[in-house]
Amino acid sequence: MLKLGGKVIEIQNDNSPNSKLYSVSTNPNLPLVLRKQKAFLIQSEDIPEGFSHYIFFDSTSSLTNKTPSNSTYTVLTDDFSYLGHDDVIRISSTKNNARVLFRAKASNNSFLITEQCNHYCLMCSQPPKVIDDSYIIEETFELITLLPKWTKEIGFTGGEPTLFGQRFLELLRHTQSQLPNTGIHILSNGRTFKDIHYAKQYAEISHFDMMVGIPIYSSDPAKHDYIVQAKGAFDETIRGILNLKRFNQKVEIRVVIHKQSIDGLVELCEFIGRNLLFVDHVALMGLEMMGFTRANLETLWIDPYDYKDTLSEAVKLLNTYGITTSVYNHQLCLVNKDVLPFYRKSISDWKNEYAIECNGCKKQSECGGFFSSGIKHGYSSNLKPFL
Amino acid sequence: MWHSQALACKKLSKFQPIQFYNNESGTYELLPFNFDKVSDDRYVITNLVGEYLTIDSKSLQDIVNHELSPTNNLYSKLRSKQFIREPDEAYPIELLALKLRTRFARLANFTNLHIFVVTLRCDHSCPYCQVSRQSEDKASFDMTTEMADKSLAMVFRSPSPAIKIEFQGGEPLLNFEMIKYVVTTAKKLNAVHQRNLAFVIATTLSLITEEILVFCKEHNIVISTSLDGPEDLHNANRPRPNKDSYQRFIDGLQKTRAILGYNQVSALMTTTDKSLPRVKDIIDEYLKLGFKGIFLRPLSPYGFAIKTRKFMSYNTERWLEFYKEGLDYIIQLNKNGIEFSEYYSALVLKKMMTSSDPGYVDLMNPAGIGIAAIVFNYDGNVYASDESRMLAEMGDSTFLLGNVLTNTYEEIILSDKLLDALDESFTLSAPMCSECAFEIYCGAEPVYHHAIHKDFLARKPESEFCKRNMTTFKHLINIMEDDSERKSLFIDWANKC
Amino acid sequence: MHNLVVIFDERIYSVLTLQKAAYRFISYFACNFSLTENQIQCEIESTGNMTLEAFNAKVHDFKKEVLDQHLREKIRVETDDIRNLILSVAFSSTGLQKVE
Repeated sequence: MLKLGGKVIEIQNDNSPNSKLYSVSTNPNLPLVLRKQKAFLIQSEDIPEGFSHYIFFDSTSSLTNKTPSNSTYTVLTDDFSYLGHDDVIRISSTKNNARVLFRAKASNNSFLITEQCNHYCLMCSQPPKVIDDSYIIEETFELITLLPKWTKEIGFTGGEPTLFGQRFLELLRHTQSQLPNTGIHILSNGRTFKDIHYAKQYAEISHFDMMVGIPIYSSDPAKHDYIVQAKGAFDETIRGILNLKRFNQKVEIRVVIHKQSIDGLVELCEFIGRNLLFVDHVALMGLEMMGFTRANLETLWIDPYDYKDTLSEAVKLLNTYGITTSVYNHQLCLVNKDVLPFYRKSISDWKNEYAIECNGCKKQSECGGFFSSGIKHGYSSNLKPFL
Repeated sequence: MWHSQALACKKLSKFQPIQFYNNESGTYELLPFNFDKVSDDRYVITNLVGEYLTIDSKSLQDIVNHELSPTNNLYSKLRSKQFIREPDEAYPIELLALKLRTRFARLANFTNLHIFVVTLRCDHSCPYCQVSRQSEDKASFDMTTEMADKSLAMVFRSPSPAIKIEFQGGEPLLNFEMIKYVVTTAKKLNAVHQRNLAFVIATTLSLITEEILVFCKEHNIVISTSLDGPEDLHNANRPRPNKDSYQRFIDGLQKTRAILGYNQVSALMTTTDKSLPRVKDIIDEYLKLGFKGIFLRPLSPYGFAIKTRKFMSYNTERWLEFYKEGLDYIIQLNKNGIEFSEYYSALVLKKMMTSSDPGYVDLMNPAGIGIAAIVFNYDGNVYASDESRMLAEMGDSTFLLGNVLTNTYEEIILSDKLLDALDESFTLSAPMCSECAFEIYCGAEPVYHHAIHKDFLARKPESEFCKRNMTTFKHLINIMEDDSERKSLFIDWANKC
Repeated sequence: MHNLVVIFDERIYSVLTLQKAAYRFISYFACNFSLTENQIQCEIESTGNMTLEAFNAKVHDFKKEVLDQHLREKIRVETDDIRNLILSVAFSSTGLQKVE
């Protein structure tokens, strides 16, 4: 697992009270006029002048005295040595920490824009907080301007991003204007779109490639409301999806599979086939052992081995109805063969690991593996390496 | 950007149990549904978009009397299929409305199937055939270019974005010159109209030639043909001077597949009394010839079928036996790994298991006549359906809407004859139909009811059409509710259809 | 030809309910309804050739059908308004919420 954030060894000469975002450069030949916006990543003794900030690692910290005068610098631990050109990092002198927000090498970068949420899902991997965190979305506005223009796709997650209402739509417009060739994927519970005016304004952005991923956990409203711990949520989510599709917006349905959702999974797929046939994608996802999941482990955990036939049935049904389907976050040895055409390696590289049992498995390169949290906090006892 | 709403509902410090999200007992509202008995203690309930559930009679009474507990598993199913809703829920109304609209969307598009009867002449003399003539008299039984031009002008008045022109007869290949003329003229017209234009020729294949097929290939014309079963049965049903109908069919099929492609030919069968004991042989014949399914359909009660009493030679019960035996055999084939469908069941299942309507003329309400299909006859007459013109050949011109030479498009499509038939047969206002659990799967079929009962609507308890379809619907529901493997197969058929 | 009189309590069943039930048996027998105080009298008369046994069985089915029709009537009364709402939402251009 990559370390995306943590304490820094040293931050020097920075008098600003707030944290700062830097786009990282490894190009010593960057024209002077462009250096002002960039932090230079030290890789040799050759330190060009004119960058607004310089980043050293523990291993290169002996060179800090060569920092050009009137410039600031930071010394990071060697955990961050994966940093590369065009990455974006936040350095906070008051908190003495750093966080990598964007990695140019990663196929997908997601930005959390709020920790507030009107759901309180049993298995939330990012437990919501009741705080005013509007600074995050404001920072995201700046972050967007620092991203390379060739970025293929970015994601906005939360919390619930749409709780910011108009400001969220402004962020989308801002992104569209800054990154006109970048796809946007939004993780939302869809409830805000129950307001048809909001859905209409969203649609009017007319982005060339923007999709909302919306979770539905059961076709039984009470069960869905229970899983997301919010009464009336199902009603609003369904109406939100209908409004988005009324304006021809792309919608993906995301189903996290656990002990509470597995019983009604096949019925849910039938419900989607009959009621939401027009959605663009359905993702059936394994459980991430993070956040609330660990508190509710007894209520949620089911060994994927024990539900593999149900998963097969669900996938088959969705496919029969002609719905584009993917299976995420599962291990290759715990799904039936008929699931393979829908199987995706989906776990972000930075939190993707394999278990001890996987040693010697010949199919590791095709396998989605585990969330690091799974390796740490528990996984199926039925793993079987392909030998 | 502070959100007090989020704050208010997030004061929870711990998780609530599922009971917290259930409503109080008995507070649910019923959404519209119908019910009927499908077997001894099994009722089926259906709503106005075709979702169904099977329940016992006690549950049915509990539901209606608001005595079903929210913790009951059935309660969840009823909610997710929109049979009940909890107060203030809006999504069930939106979903029901949306699905209803989708089902009726076809109506707005109006006619898409346009049948051109290019000749009544035929090289076969099938005893059950309603219309064909054994004649060399081209002048009396062939469509002229003038009629074709006027008919095509009307075809393109249909607002449908997709237009299919199907050539029928007689044997349409006996007037292949007219087919060529219609196809090329339609394509010229379509350069302006820009519809999704498709062509079908309905032929026995006995007269198919390479020259014809090359033309078909060039214009993407597909072939719909007839196969009644094994050689002896096929030849008995379809007499030709040299008793060679089957052999000509086989040769024609081979040629057609070679030139047009394997899947560009489909076949229809006619069930005569001779077919009844041989459903497996018939299906095997289709299998042997590489077809992916079969349409088990009863002999229609029109024209010569009535005149020659062929239709009366087997009754609805005997037909249903034939159908059930065939369906059972086909299901068994699938269980053994052979993909094969029964198309009539598939049409019905599409209405049961999906939210779209296959638009099959017999199973539409308002009736499909004039809407799903319209017929331009060789003599310029326009009929509301294929069956309508067959009835007319027997002297009953009830469904003759007009003539291309003397009437305008508006006069034809808004003719009182068509509107009265649609209106009077409309099932949602008909006795018994309006409360029937199977209404949503069924159709109005005013032509059948007029032909047999001299009444567009007829008394349904006396209608064989009603009996045949009700039994079919019940049978399909019963056998899939008894076996999840069958249900899975049926969902597959429904979606392929 | 067989005859039978069945009595229904008018406070429980409507004539329409009984008529609807009777309609389904139209090919087996005809029904004549008459109203007396709190009672609906239903005179059943078989139409075709049928044995007494078959006739009685059909009358039995008819009584069960009356119960079903009664239930249908209850559903209809409760759901008529919502059916109209669904139809109006389905076939209006706006839906539940209006978009300008």
